[in-house]
Amino acid sequence: MSEHTRPDSAGPAPSAPAKAVRLEATGHDGSFLGKTVTPAKFASGRESGFAFADILFAIDLGDEFVFGDAFPDWRGNLYDISMIPDMDTLVRWKPGLDAVIGDYWLRDGRPVPICPRNMVRRLAEHLRELGYSATVAVEIETTLFEESVQQARARGYRDLTPLGGATGATYHLARSKDWVDYLEAVTDRLDELGIAWEAWTDEAAAGQTELNLAPADPVSLSDSWARTKQVMREVAFEQDHTVTFMAKPTSGFGQGAHINLSLHRDGANQFYAPDGPSEVMLQAVGGLMATMAGNTLLALPQITSYRRLVDLSGPPTTISWGVNNKTAAVRAIAGHPKYSRLEYRLPGSDVNPYYALAGVLAGVVAGIERRMQAPPQVDDMAWCLPDDSGIERIPDSITKAIAALDGDAVLREYLGDEFVDFWVASRRWEWMEFHTKGGDPYAELSAWESRRYFEFP
Amino acid sequence: MTEAPTITPGMDARRAPARIEIDEDATPVVRLLGRTLRDAIRIGHAPEVLDHGGGTVAVRSHNTPQAATVTLHGGAVTVSGGLFAPADATLVVDLEARFSLAQDPDGDAELARGLHRALRPPLPAWHEAAESFWKATRGIRGIPDVLVVVAHGPDGPQEARFGAGPVAYRMAGTPDALAGVFTGADYLLTSLDSGLRVQGTLSQVSVMTAASWKVRFDV
Repeated sequence: MSEHTRPDSAGPAPSAPAKAVRLEATGHDGSFLGKTVTPAKFASGRESGFAFADILFAIDLGDEFVFGDAFPDWRGNLYDISMIPDMDTLVRWKPGLDAVIGDYWLRDGRPVPICPRNMVRRLAEHLRELGYSATVAVEIETTLFEESVQQARARGYRDLTPLGGATGATYHLARSKDWVDYLEAVTDRLDELGIAWEAWTDEAAAGQTELNLAPADPVSLSDSWARTKQVMREVAFEQDHTVTFMAKPTSGFGQGAHINLSLHRDGANQFYAPDGPSEVMLQAVGGLMATMAGNTLLALPQITSYRRLVDLSGPPTTISWGVNNKTAAVRAIAGHPKYSRLEYRLPGSDVNPYYALAGVLAGVVAGIERRMQAPPQVDDMAWCLPDDSGIERIPDSITKAIAALDGDAVLREYLGDEFVDFWVASRRWEWMEFHTKGGDPYAELSAWESRRYFEFP
Repeated sequence: MTEAPTITPGMDARRAPARIEIDEDATPVVRLLGRTLRDAIRIGHAPEVLDHGGGTVAVRSHNTPQAATVTLHGGAVTVSGGLFAPADATLVVDLEARFSLAQDPDGDAELARGLHRALRPPLPAWHEAAESFWKATRGIRGIPDVLVVVAHGPDGPQEARFGAGPVAYRMAGTPDALAGVFTGADYLLTSLDSGLRVQGTLSQVSVMTAASWKVRFDV
């Protein structure tokens, strides 16, 4: 059961009886899986939990069993695991419907080792044991289309009309009403749910937008991130539009999910030093750099995720960091007692929020615990570096990323062998499915990817 | 499933073999082609093609975008992903049926027939294939302690056991079906649709899938 306090993002307590309660938790691909139960059923299971077949960690986005690893002892012939709701997350989602986020637990009371939410909680707790509390924020990028989801499905998610016009125009306020109406409806829903947001704007590609969530503790931020994606989908359905979190939904710009993180102790920002990065920040950077190749498989989980990694197009392509350097994979914002933070720029918008944060926290914890040294920062442009620069490239295919995570002893220690083996096998399965079931690696964006990734994750 | 005669390595296996090179970070079809041609070289199959052939052959899947280019030149065989240049010949094959032809080859018919022959090496006997499979995959984390294989041939069922320990996994089928899976000529999950039978847990099917990838694609 959750040990953290009620998150700021939790909405007001329901004032009228609900007709139903929706149980929410992400599987491995990142969007919510769950079911809706009656109030009586919810009351009977809110303490003991609700049985879910472990299949929810074993089905891919094409509804096929994912094979390739030796299941641990808690997985077998479709055994049940328990989803226990975290009552701190209970909200009135809409009139008559409550929603609550939960975690997966084994029958013996241990957390499911590959449960995304449990992984974030475990690593945040590890950080607390070192004396730090983490504050995290995220920039969520997504692309909107005029067509309804039914129309999008009928077209195979191709040749859709970007909402708000055919131009990508970062920061322009002269956007058409349909686009503004959508974002205002989304933020109204976030306000109703108590999810703290800070800003929204259009982004680089036609139909693309960025929504920033306010800083929070890691578990709460992950919950808000997952719920915000659900809200953005539901509002799109209501307005007969379509939204996608594919890392590259068209042949145009890709979209990411930058994670901003700071560490505090006794109310003071531990990344702050008057004249640049603090020693703690440099250790955190050291850990993030050491684990970046392995963490790529969490930050870029799908086949299409890797289509973003193009020099000079925005996403990082090298394992690099620098103060205020947005061409690097980690941007350090230093020298300010309040705003000093690290911006981890690698994740794509198709990431599982919980796994992405778990990977980042693992790198930070490892860096601090092992007093890792940050490599020299990159003052130059971190794209297009020559091979002899001494700066490694980020793994640019899922198979390279699989190999990097499989061989990362540090991440194996902090994320657990069970998770690493599971994730490596499931991503190898994804690679095999793509190549053998109709994906085209030589197409700019294959129809197989659109069908598989447009609506989920 | 196609039938193929079984042979054991003969004198040809000791010839100076051709060299097979595949892309770095190769796709599954490239890996499948490369592994199959290596097996062919190992048993001395089609040396007139692999050791002495020359030319470029496009190999395309009949029902997916999977494609590769095989270049033969003076005993060097290169397999690359995709089709990026005009080829001397084109083979359209069923990758799930041991490279059986889906249509008549285009271009240089002799070259096409030669490579196609090289891609269909005869399979070893099922028990030899099972032994090689066990040797290649027993190091995979979580593989069962014991592999029990039952071949249902014309002389009735024959059984072989590999390994020792409390956790056993049983596979049964025709000699050809078993040899196909154990060599990597066939994919385990596809073979389950065509008559191969297994006895074990769902977990074991999962890890045996990894074993099938290992022998089929060398991953």
